[in-house]
Amino acid sequence: MMVNWMPIDKDIISDLLSRVQKPARYLGNEWNSCLKDHDRVAVRAVFAFPDLYEVGMSNQGLKILYECVNSRSDLLMERVFAPAADMEDLMRENDLPLFALESQEALKDFDVIGFSLQYELSYTNVLNMLDLAKIPLYSSERSESDPLVIGGGPCTFNPEPLAPFFDFFILGEAEEFLPDLLAELGALKGRCLNRNEILSAISDLESIYVPSLYRPLYRDGVLCGMEKLDSRPSDVIRKRTVKDLDCAPYPTSPIVSYIQTVHDRAVIELFRGCGKGCRFCQAGFIFRPVRSRSRKNILETAEAIIAATGYDEISLSSLSSTDYAQIETLISEMNEVFEESKVKCSLPSLRLDSYSVKLAEQLHQGRRSSLTFAPEAATERLRKVIGKNISEEDIFKALSDAVAAGWQGFKLYFMIGLPTEKDADVEAILTLCRKIRQHFKLKTGRSLKIVVSVSTFIPKPHTPFQWEPQLELSEVVNRQQILRKGFRNMPGFDYSWHEPEASLLEAVFARGDRLLAPLLERAWQLGCRFDGWSEHFSFERWQKAFRDLNIDAGSYAYRRFNYDEYLPWDHIDCGVSKEMFIREHRNALIDESTRRGIS
Amino acid sequence: MNRISFSFARKLPLAYISHLDMLRLFLRALRRSRLPLAFSQGFNPHPRLTLALPLPVGVTASEEYGEIYFTEFIRPEDFIGRLRPQLPEALELIDAYIVRPEAPSLASRIEAALYRAILKNGFEQRLTAESVRDALERLLAREEIIIQRKTKKKKTASTNVRPYIIEAVVKKEAGKPMELNLVLKAGSQGGISPVFLLEQLESDPVCTGISAHDWQLHRESIYVNNDGILQPVSEGM
Ligand code: SF4
Repeated sequence: MMVNWMPIDKDIISDLLSRVQKPARYLGNEWNSCLKDHDRVAVRAVFAFPDLYEVGMSNQGLKILYECVNSRSDLLMERVFAPAADMEDLMRENDLPLFALESQEALKDFDVIGFSLQYELSYTNVLNMLDLAKIPLYSSERSESDPLVIGGGPCTFNPEPLAPFFDFFILGEAEEFLPDLLAELGALKGRCLNRNEILSAISDLESIYVPSLYRPLYRDGVLCGMEKLDSRPSDVIRKRTVKDLDCAPYPTSPIVSYIQTVHDRAVIELFRGCGKGCRFCQAGFIFRPVRSRSRKNILETAEAIIAATGYDEISLSSLSSTDYAQIETLISEMNEVFEESKVKCSLPSLRLDSYSVKLAEQLHQGRRSSLTFAPEAATERLRKVIGKNISEEDIFKALSDAVAAGWQGFKLYFMIGLPTEKDADVEAILTLCRKIRQHFKLKTGRSLKIVVSVSTFIPKPHTPFQWEPQLELSEVVNRQQILRKGFRNMPGFDYSWHEPEASLLEAVFARGDRLLAPLLERAWQLGCRFDGWSEHFSFERWQKAFRDLNIDAGSYAYRRFNYDEYLPWDHIDCGVSKEMFIREHRNALIDESTRRGIS
Repeated sequence: MNRISFSFARKLPLAYISHLDMLRLFLRALRRSRLPLAFSQGFNPHPRLTLALPLPVGVTASEEYGEIYFTEFIRPEDFIGRLRPQLPEALELIDAYIVRPEAPSLASRIEAALYRAILKNGFEQRLTAESVRDALERLLAREEIIIQRKTKKKKTASTNVRPYIIEAVVKKEAGKPMELNLVLKAGSQGGISPVFLLEQLESDPVCTGISAHDWQLHRESIYVNNDGILQPVSEGM
């Protein structure tokens, strides 16, 4: 129990709500949200998501942890999201500190603030939220009355650029661990340990990374290792994994938002991890091994979620759901269970093959607007390099089946800037799309609506491509130009691309080290927020921040890292060894050279 | 087929959600209640729920109406008994009654609405009831009040909304905040939002310093046309 340091005038909140664009983002109090008496729990935590409410409320990690922490009577967890620009301005004008949605209490008055770190472009929002909460940005500057600031999520697999801002990180899947950890933090505090003592005490627990206990070593400006400043923590921090999904906590009463969120539906996770191992895909490696939920558990949980929420749609979610072992049986069982209540089931992502199209057909009876596929690369050679082994024949077969089943269009995802890619591979995207259109025009007489979305390859830690350089900005722009020109002359295609400057920044922070922390702070000071939103992203500000701190973005993004150099994330163990990544990387390039030899 | 009409009140925090959000909220509450919803025909069946008149964001309300169809006969008291526990506190179910399935939809009969705009705390010093009365008079004396509206095809069309203002009076009782009572045309035949009127006031020189946000808006009742007479829905049933 703590004293209220920063009582908030709730009338101010209520007045501000009437002045902002989307007040419902800050209301709290939604169906299934949980408001507990702060005086009756031992530890009070906030789940902080550094993006807008609509984005954060779609995050499955939030739902899982919120329910499993709040199911304990000695703990509470509330939520906070990044306030939109209009709200931020009003909060600063009125000196209103960042507050948690449930109790409207100031963040500073909680014991633990846990940030969900899903993508690099949300980092400036983390700093902004800490600042709005009046919590010192740097861990070293926090006092005993400040909450512990912790982080989890995919970005913790290289948390170095954020390291000085966090008291500790939890690596991997926290649902079986977090409630006990929170209780333990409360107990340590109860024994009057100070912050540093608490951090040291937990630093030897599996999956806990206390960055202040490690110091990066540099030789001639190049990172060469990590020195431990305390004997307790281990040299390498291992991620935590749930062994059996059927036994792990899963939310059956998730919060139902008042406003539409990005994924506004129930979600049941079929399995975790992905066995495909595409070489660019970080999720495919850090969420290993593949663990399935049993059909019985899926059906029971799905029914419970629908009963508790009233959603009319449930997503069968996984990294590649069509790979679930008994997917067909499952779909027919789901259709049966939800026949009467007319709850729709949906698959978030489809493999590009006929089997997947058949499954989609079973699911979407009636609703046939468009199907989404991610071939990623347009030539077989390049698909082979990246480990996405589908032939052009497969693609056409799958698309034909989809058209025959009545789908009106497709959404196709490609990447440019992939390792070994040439202009010809980019032009092949146009050729493939043209072929698709001609093929179906001849066959069906009608034009399909095809949306093509192209992103830039980003070398990610813990993937076989982690050593690869990102394609330089000017070259990315050139290749986008090829596509832009090409699609201009191809009616029926809706072409969209990711901002290449934002992708550059993503690469910098994905592969960054601790030297980037001051850069992040500088960019935030210059006004960078919501960098993942094109309407907010300002490359000029970032360029100024790089200049101010004399940091070369290219040395992080464009440099080919060596196999024998110490990587900023080498002290983090995702479960896949560096040797295996090297092997896979070599295989990718061998694929390339053997193909070149043939042709 | 069983058709039920129901009335509800909406209180403050929930005033901040849109009409579509309200529909979704009711649908999810209805699904949780496990009442036997009737679905529309076609490829994409959905429950047949309508709310008589969309509530603007930020506006609270005393007596709003909705209509819903069920596959089985449901007694109004059972409807209330099962739906009420599924609704948030700020959304209060008041009453329900059975309507003949062939009766015209309530939405199609709505003609007008009575709004109250209550001046928020802390703004009393900035303007007097007299000045607001003058400003309103000036506004109502105009023959035309033209606004540009976006039409569906990204074009704009101008509409004279002066005829949509049926009544606008200022009330000031000692010890109570100043209040405007506005009867405005509403519904499928056309209408205007009370926010528009407040914005017009804001642009009058005597009211500078007060913005549309400084009033709390409340919809007191919605009116149907009964043989040329405007009546609250509850009386016109
Ligand atoms: S891209 Fe998709 S299929 Fe490939 S490894 Fe990643 S999640 Fe699995």
